Amino acid sequence: MFPSSASEIKPPPVYALGPRVSLSARIRSLPFFRLAAVWEAFFVALASLRQNKLRTALTLIGIIVGVTAVIAVVTIIKGLDQTVAQTFSSQGSTVFTISKRPRVITSREEFIKYNKRKDITEDDAQAIFRLCTACWRTGIAANDGVPVKRGNQKADAVQLRAITPSAMFDIDGVTIDAGRFWSDTEGNSAHEVCVVGSDIVTNFFPNQSAEQTIGEDIWAGGHRYRIVGVLQPLGKIFGISRDERILIPFPTYKKDFGLNVARGAFNTTGSLVVFIQTQTASQLEAAEDQVRAVMRNRRGKTFKEEDDGFALETEDVFLNLYSSATSNIYLVTIGVAAISLVVGGIVVMNIMLVSVTERTKEIGIRKAVGARRRDILTQFLIEAVMVTAIGGAFGVLTGFGTAWLIALAIGFPLLFSVWSAVLGVGVSSVVGVVSGLWPAWRAARLDPIEALRAE
Amino acid sequence: MTEATIATSQTSAGVVAKPNLVSADGKVQVLIAMQNIWKTYDMGAEKVHALHGVSFEVKRGEYLAITGPSGSGKSTLMNLIGCLDTPSQGDYWLNGKNVSEMDDDELARIRNQEVGFVFQTFNLLARATALHNVELPLIYGGIPSAKRHEMAKQALTEVDLVDRMMHRPNELSGGQRQRVAIARALVNHPSILLADEPTGALDTATSYDIMNLFEKLYEDGNTIILVTHERDIAARARRIISIRDGLIEKDEQIK
Repeated sequence: MFPSSASEIKPPPVYALGPRVSLSARIRSLPFFRLAAVWEAFFVALASLRQNKLRTALTLIGIIVGVTAVIAVVTIIKGLDQTVAQTFSSQGSTVFTISKRPRVITSREEFIKYNKRKDITEDDAQAIFRLCTACWRTGIAANDGVPVKRGNQKADAVQLRAITPSAMFDIDGVTIDAGRFWSDTEGNSAHEVCVVGSDIVTNFFPNQSAEQTIGEDIWAGGHRYRIVGVLQPLGKIFGISRDERILIPFPTYKKDFGLNVARGAFNTTGSLVVFIQTQTASQLEAAEDQVRAVMRNRRGKTFKEEDDGFALETEDVFLNLYSSATSNIYLVTIGVAAISLVVGGIVVMNIMLVSVTERTKEIGIRKAVGARRRDILTQFLIEAVMVTAIGGAFGVLTGFGTAWLIALAIGFPLLFSVWSAVLGVGVSSVVGVVSGLWPAWRAARLDPIEALRAE
Repeated sequence: MTEATIATSQTSAGVVAKPNLVSADGKVQVLIAMQNIWKTYDMGAEKVHALHGVSFEVKRGEYLAITGPSGSGKSTLMNLIGCLDTPSQGDYWLNGKNVSEMDDDELARIRNQEVGFVFQTFNLLARATALHNVELPLIYGGIPSAKRHEMAKQALTEVDLVDRMMHRPNELSGGQRQRVAIARALVNHPSILLADEPTGALDTATSYDIMNLFEKLYEDGNTIILVTHERDIAARARRIISIRDGLIEKDEQIK
């Protein structure tokens, strides 16, 4: 009926005593995982999860909560990051600036060092305009803080920003809400005109709309300017309004305040900021190199010197500062959220230990008919990973849902990334492997004789 | 397969070959050779000798019963024959392979290929169908699923249960369950069929059926080893080895 497997042995083996090496070696050379056994493990795991519904549900909840926490936190953080990035990048990625001091100064020593630098002057700006071939549009800006008055309404220090040419509006990334920008003709002729931020309307023209303020006058630093336009609000960043400011043409500012004369009186730096914009982002680096060369030359510096004598910055500076300031906070937050995932892992481990104990007899039977340790190990690992992977998938969904609700409540853009979903399922699967390993190892090491005796 | 090993071991160890154990057509005729087998359990303070130097041989196609009272070492011997355990001392050759010093995974492989177990309490997977239970050894033998189904169906046909193959154990009678277990034991074409009190959980009539099935399997050329304490069951075999106090008391050919 059944041919004996011994018939495969050819030529006839000689029966003898002796060392038993090569048979072991032959058996070890067998494939580590048999596909059939892995499939079996898969279906057994599925059946076992289905049979113990309550237990499976509780385990799933453990993992879901953990993954939800991690995914929600990551998604919210990415949303906040995006908000900040958009806020800072109003200038666009084709713009960089030359200034005396960097925008971010982190120590008193730095401040002193930067203060010793020469001011950026109109001559510097002119040289850049003339010599930088990779540059597309350029402009200059001077920032001042001046008292502002209109009727009874007064404020001590409002930002007064003097810019030229009118392309600077565009480079600055501001748009008009009511009225118009001043023309280059008006600007170059030093007309007493201004464009104001939306907070100026709110603060100095109570109960008036933006349109109604067009043509009105406002006093800034002791000079009277006619409002020709009101800007679209930029909103707050870190609680500071960016809409309380008055923009006037640079020639007008120079005529009214002078550059160096005004120093001290109105807290001006006496130094300009040169804005350079390239046509495409790919030209940015070339333009930066050219401008750096021009400025080093004008400052008499070589590339070997540590301090260039000026600061060349893109908007990245702020973003970098933001990232470095917040990345540790993010890590801690994600770490705290991840603790719940560890708890979920412990739940899985507990359940798997129960499962192994309950199925000792089954393990014995499987071993008796030829399941190896690794087959049993695989079976229980697959079961653990299956729970955590399913839990992870659900957790990703509920995590996104939670983030969506929070985003809706606070109001920031939501970024669902495939990566965080992959990460959620991946990490929870790893949790499954880690927490399933010990129970599975215990199952795999069971003595078949003992296991068969179990009830 | 193993001839290279044995040839090498012959020269290196310089031991005597036993050429008369292989027949002219190349088959290993001595399936089981137990040579001075000891099994000692270390119970902390004292050592318990379950077997003290047991030696015997079983040829292909034999129908052997191992009997003895409980505590005689009968179960220990069965575990050794079934490769569930290894001897503390001595050599055990099964179908030309020395299995006495194999590790866990190698033993699993031998159990899968060479041994078919039939247990007193059937030991079927409660949640699996009869067909799946019979397929189990093939799964761990790495047989692809189509071939597996075919082989399992054939084995169930041999025990006359193919019409109930989609039933779970709790939907089958005791006799039917034992026949599923026998089909599972046979499906991989093992060298030996090892039955441990196969009728212990069955009524007399069903026991009779199962013993007839063993008789048929024996006549088909299978090598069968029954482990039992019942004299009348043992009497169905052609040879009886009686164990007492870890030693062979009697080894008799009865038919």
